[in-house]
Amino acid sequence: MMKKIIKTMTGGIWLVDPPKDISLNGYRIDNVIQYTDFVITLYFGIVVVSLIFFIWRYNARKHPHAVYDLGNTKKHRYLTVAMGLLVFFSIDVVIESMAFKDLKEAFWKFPKGEDVVRIEIMPQQYAWNIRYPGDDDIFGTNDDIVPPQNILHIPVNTPIVVQLTTYDVIHSFYLPNFRYKQDATPGMVTAMWFQAKETGDYEFACAELCGNSHFKMKGFLTVESKDEFDNWIVAQEPEVTDDDDDWGFEEEDEGVPTKWGWQWKELK
Amino acid sequence: MEGIKMSSSKSIMSTHIFSTDHKTIGKQFLFLGIFFLLFGGFQAMLIRWQLAYPEQPVPWWLFGSIVNGEAGMITPDVYNQLFTMHGTIMIFWAITPLLIGAFGNFLIPLQIGAKDMAFPTLNMLSFWTFFLSGVVLLVSYFLPLGVASGGWTSYPPLSLPAGGIPGLGQAFWTLSITLMGVATMMGAINYVITVIRLRAPGMTYFRMPLSVWGLWLTSILNVIFVPVIAAGLIMLLIDQLLGTQFFLAGRLAAGGGGDPLLFQHVFWIFGHPEVYILILPVWGIVSELLSVFSRKPAFGAKITVICMSTIVVLSSVVWGHHMYTTGMSPLLGKTFMFLTLLISIPSSIFFFNWLATLWRGSLHFDPPMLHTMAVIWVFAIGGLTGLYNATVTADIYLHDTMFVVGHFHYTMAASVLFGGYAAIAYWYSRMFGRMLNPLLSKIHFWGTFITINLVFFNMMATGYAGQHRRLYNIGEFEFLQPLADMNIFITIMAFFLGAFQILFLYNFIHSMVKGKVAENNPWKSNTLEWTMDYPIPHGNFSTIPVVVNGPHEYSNPDVKDADWVCQTVKIGNES
Repeated sequence: MMKKIIKTMTGGIWLVDPPKDISLNGYRIDNVIQYTDFVITLYFGIVVVSLIFFIWRYNARKHPHAVYDLGNTKKHRYLTVAMGLLVFFSIDVVIESMAFKDLKEAFWKFPKGEDVVRIEIMPQQYAWNIRYPGDDDIFGTNDDIVPPQNILHIPVNTPIVVQLTTYDVIHSFYLPNFRYKQDATPGMVTAMWFQAKETGDYEFACAELCGNSHFKMKGFLTVESKDEFDNWIVAQEPEVTDDDDDWGFEEEDEGVPTKWGWQWKELK
Repeated sequence: MEGIKMSSSKSIMSTHIFSTDHKTIGKQFLFLGIFFLLFGGFQAMLIRWQLAYPEQPVPWWLFGSIVNGEAGMITPDVYNQLFTMHGTIMIFWAITPLLIGAFGNFLIPLQIGAKDMAFPTLNMLSFWTFFLSGVVLLVSYFLPLGVASGGWTSYPPLSLPAGGIPGLGQAFWTLSITLMGVATMMGAINYVITVIRLRAPGMTYFRMPLSVWGLWLTSILNVIFVPVIAAGLIMLLIDQLLGTQFFLAGRLAAGGGGDPLLFQHVFWIFGHPEVYILILPVWGIVSELLSVFSRKPAFGAKITVICMSTIVVLSSVVWGHHMYTTGMSPLLGKTFMFLTLLISIPSSIFFFNWLATLWRGSLHFDPPMLHTMAVIWVFAIGGLTGLYNATVTADIYLHDTMFVVGHFHYTMAASVLFGGYAAIAYWYSRMFGRMLNPLLSKIHFWGTFITINLVFFNMMATGYAGQHRRLYNIGEFEFLQPLADMNIFITIMAFFLGAFQILFLYNFIHSMVKGKVAENNPWKSNTLEWTMDYPIPHGNFSTIPVVVNGPHEYSNPDVKDADWVCQTVKIGNES
């Protein structure tokens, strides 16, 4: 019932639709946004109605003598504080509990287990470097898979855990269709996870200003079935490196870093 | 204030340029602020042009040939420079001098019954340091490789030489804001001390007009937080020029390097209070003007003051909500969300008080009142949409999108503009002895009100639809194609918005010479600044007034034959 009211009330106060949500948990973000849409429309409506009423009822022509009212009696004070608490409990407490629940159940609850696909992503000015662990499932070995820049394939209905750091300045890995983004900051590894519900081709973008060609920094995301993904991975050439021990960044080949990657950071 | 020496030699230099009179300095800040407002606004028009008509030559009426030579097209580097300088100029060189510089200077001594600021010479020095910082900023436009282009937040490493922005633009940017901070500090210390030390006899804290309260609280925030950003900027500057590595890490750093996130923390520890620094004077002015034009005491004035003070305290512990996507620890994310949402309690209380002031009042819709009521409208939208950005999960999607841009333009651009226009329209006659043309003011008001909403609301909509910020060309992305028409619409509305500001400028200048000569108290206000003849002399009051009333005794039944009574006149038959 409540959901239905919310849906009808907010049927597009923003006039446009967000990108299609293909993620397992994107609905949570849409829900909290829709609830906020609903309550703030309500409160803004109250403000507008009272403004219009006051303008109509209390304009100087109609109401030449104002009522002397300092609004400082005890009753007034209780009333104003009650207003503040009403707003706090009807809006803030609700969205806060929604958000905390979503963070606990989804966004900050990193999946563990066999079927999790792990990916390392290292954005640079102005492209995305992507690395899969390869057959041995360990990053930093000879069989790591590094597809061409800006190409990201993921299997559908499988949890994907991404660890990010950056080659140069701060970037932000932005997946509009998953309602998610995560910054990549120099000197630290950040992590995020997501899961797709539908196959198809989508775009991802850099959301943090990273220089003159920031606007061109886009990647292509292909969500495909598990089999297709496995076939695709096999078809990629493993990265050829001579020396397994020496990790770090190496000289570039026409702007493409050749040796990068890091030991997977286990999360607590 | 016995210290004021009435200068006998009345050269233009001492009365108009290097004047220590707070009223003159206030006007100087006003003119400088309006200049930068137009300059920053012009750059906004160019940004909008590029977003609607990517890579098409800029038309002549936007000075296309000056902007980018013969080709007339905005290139990506110029585009980045435009939004960087638009944000920087609007925040630090337009809003700050308009509200804090101009009205802080002009109003505080007049409204509390002081002869001048506590430190008149420091006041003059504050203006000229501010002027110098503006010059440094403008000089950077003549650098061979252009101005800064790292965004107004200027996050390292992008803003460091290693980040790839060529030339000295970033260093000039950092230097000019540091200088601006010095000027702001000098002003803020002055305002704080003036309010504490120079209130007229009987002018207790709760008898101060709410406009003084707003300006005072702002100055307190400035005194506390400008040093923080100054420290951060000086570290950034030596990173930029001397090659230290406070904010550099990863491959670009030699050895261990420092931490880029440190800058974000330092920036937003200042940056979030800065939002309130800009809006608090508006809150004060709105609270005050609502009372004047409703002919009714400000409802629960004491509670409003307590709420504003509470927000001042809370504003200093919420900066983390700008950094939800940096990968901060879950505990911090939750804490910052909770603290941020707490702000909605005091905000909704004083907002309620604003509406209750109108209730059963006698509303006069003069231009200052129109602008004041517009603040209620735009600030309601701006404040409420802040809830999305305070929510960790919603913000993960909306962060760095046009939604954020629309939201903070509602709170910082729309609210502050209307507040500034309200203040200019209201105190114009005290500054220039004449009235603004009311018809032009009303046309300007309605034009601005309609277009500003269409611009900023639709910006939020495009952000909700996924359009991320600072995009040179939205044509690069498939999923943004449906938004092309909306971007064109926003741009056209933005041009109308800009045109209406030209009308304001005409009214502002024309009325100074040709406007109707004002009587001493045209709005029948209670506060002290309306008690003396125009022009108000250096030193303001021939004798220091003795205050016996609060500022909001409108429609007091004990006052016969008038719905107002000056703060110095005793009410009733006690005498």
